[in-house]
Amino acid sequence: MSEAAHRFGATGHLVGITGIPDPALTTRGVGVIVLNAGLVQRVGPFRLHVSLTRRLNACGYATLRFDLSGLGDSGVDGNLRSRQEQVSADISAAMRLLASHAGCTRFVLMGLCSGAANAHSAAREHAEVVGAVFLDGYAYPTYGFRMRHYFAKLIHASPGRLIKAIFRRIRPRSRVAADPLFEVGFPPRREVASDLFAMLGRGLNLLFIFSGGASSYFNHPRQFRECYGAIALHPGIEVRYFDWADHTYVLGSDRAMLVDAIAEWMCRKFPD
Amino acid sequence: MTPASPGGMPRYFGTERELFGISHPGSPMQARHAVLLCPPLGQDMARSQRLYRLLAHAISARGDAALRFDFHGTGDSAGDSCGISWQRCVSDVRQAADELRYASGIDSVIAFGARLGANIALSAVESARLHGVLAWDPIMDGASHVEAMDRLQTQLLSDTTRFLRRRHDVNPRDEWVGFPLDNLLRATLQNVRLESGPSLKLLIDSMPSASYPEWLAASASITRYCHIERPVRWLDLDAQEDVILAHEVIDAVLAYLAEDGV
Repeated sequence: MSEAAHRFGATGHLVGITGIPDPALTTRGVGVIVLNAGLVQRVGPFRLHVSLTRRLNACGYATLRFDLSGLGDSGVDGNLRSRQEQVSADISAAMRLLASHAGCTRFVLMGLCSGAANAHSAAREHAEVVGAVFLDGYAYPTYGFRMRHYFAKLIHASPGRLIKAIFRRIRPRSRVAADPLFEVGFPPRREVASDLFAMLGRGLNLLFIFSGGASSYFNHPRQFRECYGAIALHPGIEVRYFDWADHTYVLGSDRAMLVDAIAEWMCRKFPD
Repeated sequence: MTPASPGGMPRYFGTERELFGISHPGSPMQARHAVLLCPPLGQDMARSQRLYRLLAHAISARGDAALRFDFHGTGDSAGDSCGISWQRCVSDVRQAADELRYASGIDSVIAFGARLGANIALSAVESARLHGVLAWDPIMDGASHVEAMDRLQTQLLSDTTRFLRRRHDVNPRDEWVGFPLDNLLRATLQNVRLESGPSLKLLIDSMPSASYPEWLAASASITRYCHIERPVRWLDLDAQEDVILAHEVIDAVLAYLAEDGV
């Protein structure tokens, strides 16, 4: 495996690292592009993206981990665009870079949190994308989610805590909650379901992995079916739930398990 | 090589091109200083990445040269996270200093480092022929630092706002906030001490406890001291994934460079 640093994009404003598999390995035609997780630079939370791309290089896949415009070491190209248009332009540039260095014509996008949201929109738009891995990607609370959520709280709560919780619910809010520093907006469920349906129709393979850190909106593998109906049964979709892990995979053993799962899925779904 | 970019030129360097760095060349006619930005280790590095980038830009904008880089086993450099060694880091500072000399044409290199990055730079002063070190919240006593980090990791494993269930299946001594730690590195860090001496040119203090002034008073050092009112929460569990932005640090380094000829 060899890694190389690049400046690329329309004005050379993007920074990324390509990983090219050892020539002795069977090279695959699919390249993997890993997107920023929130505001974390391209190495990923706790260097997750470095471990992941190197593992995929060892499996024969060319990879690129890079910083989107304005994140990590990447600057901006000076064009006035919406964030989504900018992300799309950046991912186009990333695919061109990996194509020119590794000859890939098909791509799998991977992202955690906002990276999953960006992978979703790019997978919808770009015909070259043949797969995506969404880490804590889009899902929506369902009736089953609420039942599991409140039942778990009920059986673990002491009577005192229960009374306090009920009181908090019925008491008018006296103060406004602080704005979160970073938040990913979810589009309407129907829109996401329609996108997934279209992606599967184009033959994309999609892997959704949810962590325990997504427990505010996802708490059981069955929820995916509750959420998206028959789409969840499509052979192109796989869903995993790592409820023991946190949102950013802070523990080495959890990161190793995540990397194993993604590498296994890649080798199975994209053998060529 | 492609032309230098205002954002710096990323590249791999070192004997086996195993170290990743971004070179900010400054202005060839004006550059008087070459500043090597040594990152801290572990999550401190991820949290301060933005500040290092801004600092490199600020140094470059005033015409001086800068190089920021990742130690072996960290960031984009080669090597596993579990293979970090103190000696290797010290040797990386030497390689990076040589790279900066080569890229800038300036022989006299001064290092900036935060937390353990400062301690590593101080350990490398002789071998890397550094003119001096600008240290931001360096570790004064390694044993206390190891204790504090172990405590932080124990808190993290019990943090039910992060995990659905406490993680009793993990040994708290194996990792510090996302980064593995072997016994050799642990033993080395236990023995780290901040030494006074002429190499420590500037001490930037953003720690909540005021320990550095006493230390400076006890040492015969003529180190400059800069205190930042708003403390940086290096050891606060709730802040471990927050970006550190302390413009006062950039101001302090620029003021040092403006006032001191190297």
